[in-house]
Amino acid sequence: MVRVRRGAVTSNRLLLAAAAIVVVIVLVAAALLLTGGERGATETPQPAAPAETTQQETTPAAATPEEEFAGTIKIGASLSLSGKYAVEGTRSLAGALAVVEWINDNGGIEVGGKKYKIELVYYDDESNPERVIAIVEKLITEDGVKFLLAPYSSGLTAKAAPVAEKYGVVMVSHGGASDKIFQQGYRYVVQVLTPASRYFESTLDMVKKLDPNLKRIAIIYKESEFARTVAEGTKKYAEQLGFEVVFFESYPADATDLTPILTKLKAANPEVILGGGHFKDGLLLVKQMREVGVKAKLIGILVAPAHPDFYKELGEIANTIVYPSQWEPSVKYAPENTPSGFEWYGPTIDEFLDYYNKVAAEKLNKPDLGVSYHAAEAGAAVLFIAKAIEEAQSLDPKVVREAMNGLKLYTFFGKIQIDPTTGLQIAHDMVVAQWQEGKKVVIWPEAVAVAKPVYPSPIWWGG
Amino acid sequence: MVDPTLVLSSAVTALLVGSIYGVLTLGLNIVFGVLRIVNVGFGAFVMLGAYTTYFLYKDYGVNPILTVPIAFAEGLVLGYILYYAAFRRLVGAPELATLLATFAVGVLIQELARIFWSPDVRGFIWDIGGVEVLGVRIVYSKVVAAILAVAIVAGVYLLFMKTRFGLAVRAVVQDVEGAMVVGINVERIYAASMALGIGVTVAGGSILAIYLQQGIEPYMGLPYTLLAFVIAVMAGLGSIVGSFYAGILFGFFESASFLAFSMVKDFLGVDIIPYVLTRSAAFFLLLLTLLLKPEGLFRR
Repeated sequence: MVRVRRGAVTSNRLLLAAAAIVVVIVLVAAALLLTGGERGATETPQPAAPAETTQQETTPAAATPEEEFAGTIKIGASLSLSGKYAVEGTRSLAGALAVVEWINDNGGIEVGGKKYKIELVYYDDESNPERVIAIVEKLITEDGVKFLLAPYSSGLTAKAAPVAEKYGVVMVSHGGASDKIFQQGYRYVVQVLTPASRYFESTLDMVKKLDPNLKRIAIIYKESEFARTVAEGTKKYAEQLGFEVVFFESYPADATDLTPILTKLKAANPEVILGGGHFKDGLLLVKQMREVGVKAKLIGILVAPAHPDFYKELGEIANTIVYPSQWEPSVKYAPENTPSGFEWYGPTIDEFLDYYNKVAAEKLNKPDLGVSYHAAEAGAAVLFIAKAIEEAQSLDPKVVREAMNGLKLYTFFGKIQIDPTTGLQIAHDMVVAQWQEGKKVVIWPEAVAVAKPVYPSPIWWGG
Repeated sequence: MVDPTLVLSSAVTALLVGSIYGVLTLGLNIVFGVLRIVNVGFGAFVMLGAYTTYFLYKDYGVNPILTVPIAFAEGLVLGYILYYAAFRRLVGAPELATLLATFAVGVLIQELARIFWSPDVRGFIWDIGGVEVLGVRIVYSKVVAAILAVAIVAGVYLLFMKTRFGLAVRAVVQDVEGAMVVGINVERIYAASMALGIGVTVAGGSILAIYLQQGIEPYMGLPYTLLAFVIAVMAGLGSIVGSFYAGILFGFFESASFLAFSMVKDFLGVDIIPYVLTRSAAFFLLLLTLLLKPEGLFRR
């Protein structure tokens, strides 16, 4: 009886409650929109539209060379300017635009004796896979683009790849390190960054050089596709170099306490530990290795140490931890140290940084947009397309794709060369960076390093 | 054979992490036991507790141990407000309504946290040393976290078993109408229980932060929501002390299955990933509980 009566009353009350909740949500959403709108207004000049029209504002800046150009070559891009990859996507955009402007200011691209300027046509994909597919279709069918920069991240690149392939348009991956995309038999998809399977190769090379007698390596990684690809590639390369992999295990993404697995790792007595996954688990891994008392001459962790907060959160124990990086602004790739067989092309690192800062401040209205490897990767992708067009002396994507096979470029981003059949990047080396006294410094390869490696680690190995 | 150090280390970890699981589950189970509301937004309150400890320690240098009572008080107030603002209308409401409403509250808190505190992952280091026992290093900060967890559970137990308030709560749980007849203000009992449940949850989040010290971000509570549900079901939904025992049991089960899977891998040469499989083993335990003792292991 009582229960029935109360049920009747509560249904009324429930309606009221539901209404109240809806009102609250609407209010919060409105507040969000307002603040979001404001932020959009201050940070990006025109939130949705800016993506659509691009190069108009540059024209006055590059007014003099403009008249010499016989035409415009469009490079299309679906980039994440909002959503979860907003930071990486915006930096990619600034990096690509910086290289586009450098090329246009330096005579453009020469095809058949005529000079062409490049234009980047881009739209915001909101980090949304569905949008990526729609945008790539639109770029190809409506904007008539024949060359594409892939979106940021492996996931979004994998979504865009079949579309580019379907229309036979060349797409260069600059933010998708996954090996898997290049095992699908695509003809038109190529990569300028080091694939996941090769992430720790340069670190292992460095260890081999620093400590030829070293034997025992442990690999511990997060259970995710990316980290697993890295771990398996690392294991394979370590065994090739004659190391013994004494521990090879993974942990789930949401593990609370890694102590048991780390106790096992410690018992394996490794000299070098490589692994990790992403930011959050990387911090936990390092912290708990310390708690368990794990010792190692060198610890290499994926992704997490690249983030400036790595040192802020971990403090002293972050020192001497190394990480593989696609690129660091302090690296010294320069025309003078071009390896034999490779050809220097594009801006120097200083020129790139100048253009990058200019683009970020003037075109994107984000003067404090820091530079990162995302920017360099996207810039390198533009360089690779431009050089391939010049080499092919054609604007036909099929011919340009063929020309890419023969390219061995050395740029501000390092070496670029693709595997002719799969399009996988085979030449670009990861640089190895290390936290030293609270600062990230490039320690490898020797030729481009700015500091000597601290090895063995006094903090993690003892002394 | 199996490395004895690994066995000891696993047992210690099980005990320590299990007590954290226990206190978290307790927070969930108080709300369910008294109000019959399943708090799906649980993880958001855990997150609030973790941020409380993070900010107080990192920005104001407050000793992390002292942040736990602060988090508890914060949860009490929040629980009271939420009860009168939303949950009061949900007592006795259809289950779907309670699920939706608590889910909405959880999402709201998480998104507000993301807006105000950014989605950055945060962490701190509170190193108060440790001790090595038979080759196993035990970190004091984790021991402190476990002791705090036990203290909260004991406090709640005493509150429910030895005070007039606890008697009233138990009366309401047993028979709402009977409680009304003897003059218990059911509404106030509900409000107080909600406050207590949220208080314990937020304090649990603060304890979790002391234990982990890393990985504090707006969505960190999600895996613990799932975990607390599993443990609560194992304990028997609404079972107060059972929550804690079940938490410890769960910790031991995780460790034991890790050891077992490691042995299968190392000695039988089967290519499996021990640490990743422990979670599925835990859910297997849940299934087994539901089959054999659906009312929960610790339910009288």
